[in-house]
Amino acid sequence: MMPRYRAISLAALLVPALLLASLMLGDRHVDLAALIKGEATAEVRTIVMDLRLPRALMALLAGMALGIAGTIAQAVMRNPLAEPGILGINAGAAFAGSIVIVGFTGLSVTVLPWAGFVGATTMAAAVFLLSWRKGTSSARIVLIGIGLGAFASAGTSVMIAFADIADVQRLMIWLAGSIYDANWDKICLLLAWLIVPITLVCLFYRQIDLIRFGDDVAASLGQRVNLVRAGMILLCTAISGATVTVAGLIGFVGLIAPHLARRMVGPGHARLLPASALVGGLLLMAADLVGRTIIAPVQLPAGIVTALIGAPFLAYLLWGRRHVPA
Amino acid sequence: MFRHDNAATPGLVLKNLTLAYDNATIVQGLDLSIPQGAFTVLLGRNGSGKSTVLKACVGLLRPKSGTVLLDDRPLSQFGVRERARRIALLPQGPVAPEGLSVLDLIRQGRYPHRPLLARWSPLDDEACDEALELTRMVDLRDRPLENLSGGQRQRAWIAMALAQQTDILLLDEPTTFLDLAHQAEVMDLITTLVDRGKKTVVAVLHDINQAARHANHIVMFKAGKLVSQGAPNDVMKRETIRNVFDIDPEIIHDQKTNAKFILV
Amino acid sequence: MRGVGRDRGLLLALLVLLGLAVVIAAQAVAMGTTPFSLAQVGEAIFAFDGSRDHLVITMLRLPRVLAGLLVGAALAAAGAVMQAATGNPLASPGLLGINAGAAFAVILAMALPTIGAATGGGLLGYAFIGAAITGFAVHVLGSLGTNGATPLKLVLAGAVISTFLTSLTTAVLIFDQATLDVVRLWTLGSLSGRTMNDVMAVAPFVGIGLVAVLLLRAQFTTLSLGAEISGGLGQSPLLWRTISVVLVVLLAGSAVALAGPVGFVGLVMPHVARLLVGADYRWILPYSVVGGALLVVVADMVGRSLFASQDFPVGVTLALIGAPFFLWLARYRLRGA
Repeated sequence: MMPRYRAISLAALLVPALLLASLMLGDRHVDLAALIKGEATAEVRTIVMDLRLPRALMALLAGMALGIAGTIAQAVMRNPLAEPGILGINAGAAFAGSIVIVGFTGLSVTVLPWAGFVGATTMAAAVFLLSWRKGTSSARIVLIGIGLGAFASAGTSVMIAFADIADVQRLMIWLAGSIYDANWDKICLLLAWLIVPITLVCLFYRQIDLIRFGDDVAASLGQRVNLVRAGMILLCTAISGATVTVAGLIGFVGLIAPHLARRMVGPGHARLLPASALVGGLLLMAADLVGRTIIAPVQLPAGIVTALIGAPFLAYLLWGRRHVPA
Repeated sequence: MFRHDNAATPGLVLKNLTLAYDNATIVQGLDLSIPQGAFTVLLGRNGSGKSTVLKACVGLLRPKSGTVLLDDRPLSQFGVRERARRIALLPQGPVAPEGLSVLDLIRQGRYPHRPLLARWSPLDDEACDEALELTRMVDLRDRPLENLSGGQRQRAWIAMALAQQTDILLLDEPTTFLDLAHQAEVMDLITTLVDRGKKTVVAVLHDINQAARHANHIVMFKAGKLVSQGAPNDVMKRETIRNVFDIDPEIIHDQKTNAKFILV
Repeated sequence: MRGVGRDRGLLLALLVLLGLAVVIAAQAVAMGTTPFSLAQVGEAIFAFDGSRDHLVITMLRLPRVLAGLLVGAALAAAGAVMQAATGNPLASPGLLGINAGAAFAVILAMALPTIGAATGGGLLGYAFIGAAITGFAVHVLGSLGTNGATPLKLVLAGAVISTFLTSLTTAVLIFDQATLDVVRLWTLGSLSGRTMNDVMAVAPFVGIGLVAVLLLRAQFTTLSLGAEISGGLGQSPLLWRTISVVLVVLLAGSAVALAGPVGFVGLVMPHVARLLVGADYRWILPYSVVGGALLVVVADMVGRSLFASQDFPVGVTLALIGAPFFLWLARYRLRGA
C-alpha cells in the first residue's frame, strides 16, 4: 500500500517545483528572490506575472482536465486504449479549426478557439445520436466514433492537401497543440467552464466505478446505465472541448495520465480521478516548459513534447509490467 | 429437510410474460410464481429462455407483453434503485475491472442503498461485513480478484449481490466452471441463505441432480415454455426429463436423503 | 447441410464481387480526360501497338489502377490479420507503427541534406524500410516478457512508438515548410504519378503476402479465438502472432511505400467484411482482399472524376465514400448490440 502513496505525494510536490521552474527558466533567466523582494524591474515583473505564470497555470489546468477526461473515457468505453479523441472530438475540432485557419485568415486568432469547441461538441453529439438505438453500447459508440472521425479527418486532409502552404503550416502547429498566448482572462474563462463539469464528475465518481463492470452487472445493481453513459460522455466532451479551445489538440495526455495514475493509486475512481488530474497537469506543464526552452528561441508545441516525453515513459511502464499476464 | 413453502402473498410473479430480442421471441406466455423463502431452480436446455427470464425479473429486458409483479405491483412501476433494493441478479460470467480487491467489489453491492451523494455509512460497513462472513471471505477481503481461485471469485461475486441486502436473489449459472468441491460450497451457501437468512433464491443450474438435491422448487423450460414445476420429487419423472432434455434417464430414488437422482 | 449451402452462397458472392472488381478496374482504366472504350483498353494490354492512346493507357492509367488494386487488397488483408491476431476491433496496420515509420523515414530522407536528392521513386524504398523497421520494433517491444506478444502489450507498444515517431515527424514539418509542401500529398495517401516500375517493384511483395494470407486463412480463424483456445487446439499463439506481424509488415509496408499512409481501408474493410459474412476469417480474409481492392479503385475513380483533379489524394476520397457506408453498417448491422 505505502509505495502507492509515496509516488502520488512525490507527484504532488512536483507541482510547485515545476511551477517555480516555469517562472524562472526561459529566454531570460529570472531571479525569483529579487522578484519577491520587489527589486525586479517592471519588465521582469511583466515577463513573470503576465507571460510565464499564466502560461504555466494554463498548462496545469488543461493537463488536469485532459487527465480527467481520459479517465472517464477509459471507464465508460471499458477499453484501455480509449481517450477523449475516440469520441471523434479531436477530429471534429481539427476540422472546424482547419476551416477557420484556411478559410478565414483574418478572423482566425479570436475565432479559432471557439471553432474548435463547436467542432468538438458537434462531433460528440453526432456520435452519440448516431449510436443511439434504444440505448447505447460501448462497442457501437467506438465504431461510430471511428467512422465519423474518419469523415471529419478527410475534410481536414483536403485543407492540408490544397490550401496555401503557409496556412497549412499554421494549421499543423495548431493541430499539434500548444499553450500559445495564455493570459489571465483565458485562465478565468477556462476555470469557469471547467468547474461545473469537473465537480459533477467528482461527485458522481461512484457511477464511474460501477459502469466499468459492464451493462448487466451495473444495471442489476440499479444503475441507469444509458443515462450514466450519456451523462459521462457529455461531461467528457465538455471538459476536453474546453481544453481544445485554449490549447488546441493535445493528444496522449488523456491516454497516458490515467494509466500512470492507476499504477499510483489503484483502480477506484475516488482516488483515480484526482491522481489522473495531477499526473496530466504535471505532464503538460513539463512538456510546455521543455517545449519553450529546449531549442529556444524556437518553441516546440507542447502537444509534440508530451508525446516525446510520454511515449518513452509508457514504454518504460510496459517494460516494468512485462511479466504480468495481460 | 424437505420444505415447500407456499406463502400467502407471492413475492415475484410472472403473468403471461412474452420476452423477445428484436424479432426473436425467446419466451412465450409464461405464468410463474416464485415461492417465497425457498430455493427455486430453473432447468432446461441451452437457449430455452432461463437466463432471459431472470433478466426480465430485474427489468434488464422489457417484456414484449405481460407483466412481472413484485408484491402485486408491476415491476415497471418500481424505480431502478428501488427495484435493486428488492431483487439482486448475478449475471452469467461477470467480468471485473483489473486490480480490484474483494472488498472493492463487495462495496459495489451497496450502490442501490446509497443516496446519490451520500457518504459511506456504518450500515454499509455492516452489510459488507455480513456478506463477507456469510461467504467466508473475511480473510480474503484485501486480496486482488485476479489472485483468487475460481470458487473464491464466484463467492466474492455472490457476496457483492448479498451486500445488496435484497430478499430475492437471482443467480445465473453460479456453479458453471467450478470444480465439484466449489460447486458444493456454493450450494451450501445458497441453502444457508434460504434456511437461515429467509431469502428467496432463484438459480439457473445445469446439473439436474444438484437441483434435485438442493432445490425446494424446480421449474423446467423447453423452448421458452414452462413444461413442469413443483417439488423436486414430483417433477423428477422420466417422461418429463425425456421431454425437456431429450435424454432417456433412469430415475433412482435414494431413501436416505429422500431425493431422486437421474442416471443417464 | 445448411453450412454447406451457406459456404456455396458465400463463394458465389465472392466470385461475383471479384468479377465486379475486374470490370470496374477496366472501367477505371478507360475513364479519364480522354475516355477510351473497354475494347481499346483490352487492345492496349494484349496487343500493344505503340500508339499515343496505347501509351497513355499502359504508362499512365494502368499503373495507377493496378497500384490502387494492390494497395487496397494489401491493406485490407493486413488489417484483417491485425484484428484476428490482437482480438481488438480497433487494430489496424497503422497500429503496428507502419504508417508512422514510413512517414518518418520519408520525411527524414527529404529533410536531411545528404540524402535530400531522394525524390519520387526513391521514396518508395525509404518508406518500405521505415515501415519494416518500425513494425518489427513494435513487435519486439510488445513481445518483451514471459508470455510474448499479448494483444494488449502489442497494441500499447504500437501506440507508444507511432505517437513518438509522429511527433518527431510533425516537429520536422512544422519548421521545414519546403518539405511540408513536397510531402503533404504523400502523407494523405495518393496514387497519382505512380509508374509501372513502382508497381512492379512492390507487386511481388504484395503477391507473396496475399497468397500466404489466403492459404493460411484457417489459421487466422483459430488465432482470432484468443490465445487460450488457439493454444488448446494445438496452435502456437507465439509463432502465429509473429507470422502475423511479418505478413502485416510485408503487406502494409508495401502498400505504404506505393501510396503513402492510406488509412481507413485497413481498419474498416475487415469490419465491413465481418458485418457481411460473420466472424469466420476464412471468409473475412478473401472478402477483405477483394473488397479492399474494389474500394480503393472506386475511391480513386470518384476522386478523379468528381474533383476533376489527378492529384486528389485517394486517402481522402476513401474516407468520404467509405465512412457513411461504415456508419450505416455500424448502426444497423452490429451484432450483439
